[in-house]
Amino acid sequence: MPSVALLGRRGLIVALVLVLAFFILGPLVWLALWAFARSWQYPSLAPSGWTLSWWRTVLTTPGLDHSIALSFIFAPVVTAASVLICVPAAYGFARYSFPGRRALLVSLFATNAFPKIGLYITMAGMFYTLHLMSTFLGVVLVQLIGTVVFMTWIPAAAFAAVPRSLEEAARDVGAGRLRTFWHVTMPLALPGILVAVILSFLASFDESQGTFLVGTPRYITMPIQMYSLVLNYPQQAAAVFSILLSVPSVVLMFLVRRHVMGGRLAEGFQLK
Amino acid sequence: MGRRRLTGLALVAPPVALVAFLVGFPIIVAIAYSLGQTGGLNAAQSSIALHEFSARNGLVTTAAYRSVLADHGFIVDLLSTLWVTLLSTILVLVISWSVGLYVRFSKSILAKALSALSVVPLFIPVVIASYALLAFWSGGGFVKSVASQLGFPRFPTIGYSLPGVVIGEVWVNVPFGVLMIVSGLQGVPDALIEAARDVGASLARATRSVLVPMNFLPTVIVATFTAIYVLGSFTVPYLTGPTAPALLGVDATNTFEAYSEPQQAEVIAIVLFVLAVGVGSLYVWANVKANRATELAR
Repeated sequence: MPSVALLGRRGLIVALVLVLAFFILGPLVWLALWAFARSWQYPSLAPSGWTLSWWRTVLTTPGLDHSIALSFIFAPVVTAASVLICVPAAYGFARYSFPGRRALLVSLFATNAFPKIGLYITMAGMFYTLHLMSTFLGVVLVQLIGTVVFMTWIPAAAFAAVPRSLEEAARDVGAGRLRTFWHVTMPLALPGILVAVILSFLASFDESQGTFLVGTPRYITMPIQMYSLVLNYPQQAAAVFSILLSVPSVVLMFLVRRHVMGGRLAEGFQLK
Repeated sequence: MGRRRLTGLALVAPPVALVAFLVGFPIIVAIAYSLGQTGGLNAAQSSIALHEFSARNGLVTTAAYRSVLADHGFIVDLLSTLWVTLLSTILVLVISWSVGLYVRFSKSILAKALSALSVVPLFIPVVIASYALLAFWSGGGFVKSVASQLGFPRFPTIGYSLPGVVIGEVWVNVPFGVLMIVSGLQGVPDALIEAARDVGASLARATRSVLVPMNFLPTVIVATFTAIYVLGSFTVPYLTGPTAPALLGVDATNTFEAYSEPQQAEVIAIVLFVLAVGVGSLYVWANVKANRATELAR
């Protein structure tokens, strides 16, 4: 009977949504509850008391304001450097054809294919020789690597999606190359570039392994501090810090969610 | 034409140079180090290295590789890494296609809820996610608490275990998979599906014969990117995985930091790299195949 089949299908979909909600949101809700728990004994499903005292504990942790400030200094610097280095290259990949174009585009992805620890071991040797260990520039360079794929591939797709006919029309009425780029190409590619900027910012903000190797003990960022908090403090403190560390991510992703979910993402990862 | 090519090359030079200097060059030096070249740039690491193998004839030695590959613990870790990667990739594909197909055919609130849900992990830093997943699935967590309340105190704990790592890796990689497949499926016009149904195909048949083949490339992209991510991953297995067997990313880090054997750590990293390159070549092959098909169709 059609109505039973329909009900069955509906039921299946609702089940899928519930399972996915449980799988994805469950751990986050659980951790959020811990941030406000006075004490919580296994196996009860709720804390035995609620409190904000752990927030006070975490917010007054020595060095926390330092690590927050550092994270918010490195991330914009790294993102700005990434924009300067990679966005013109993205335009080059999108609009120019030259020998080895696709090979170079793929090679940039090599940054993700080689396990980071393998790179860091050799990089440690290199950085010691170049006196880059425990330096601001050293940490910036390490975080920069993680942003290259975002800042070249996604803007390249954004530039490629701008119809050449529009650019040609502008050139036809006498606009120079730079003017055309600034007034025609850039505005249309801006949403894609913005997504790349946010993803790069978050990649730099959340980077821990490389920053730990190069930056400590002078530069301790929020993710590095998270590791020590997890090991040395009770679960409530780690839960509070988790929420603090997630706030920038949530805010930034919320701003660009429409563009990320807009459906153009697939094109950025296809080699054209 | 010549000037345009030069301009193009000049524009792409900065990131290429950066990657060459910070990634390409270290990879070459790492390979040399693993083959016994313990001097020069590797001298700093070499000075603190234990159980190191230097190339006596001055060129190469496979001693480090033989020592690592003969280690039983390493083989167990390698096999664990491979099955965790395979299972995570399969699960991500299943979830991505399930969500993708539903979103493709329905504009209901449930569809929107599915899309929104699937993207949530993108908002959360991996360190936090790993910690949250561990707290949820492990000894004192939600799953065990519910099981205990329902009368199953001996319910298996999924924290600090390889299945726990699979859960973590799937959680982290679902957004990219869903976004890619949804985007790919939206790219197939309704007209094509309607045409298939007009000649009598059921929805299932239209899906199998029209949607699936046309989304070969996005599927390969999701599979290869997920696999490469899981192969080299550190944070998720470090926080949610067992002490042994450990995934190779954690293994390499421990070998370097705890055991002070940078050469063996590089060997493990290179094994991972070879695996990743193998998977990556699938990605390149799929793109070449897709581009060729597009060109033939013109």
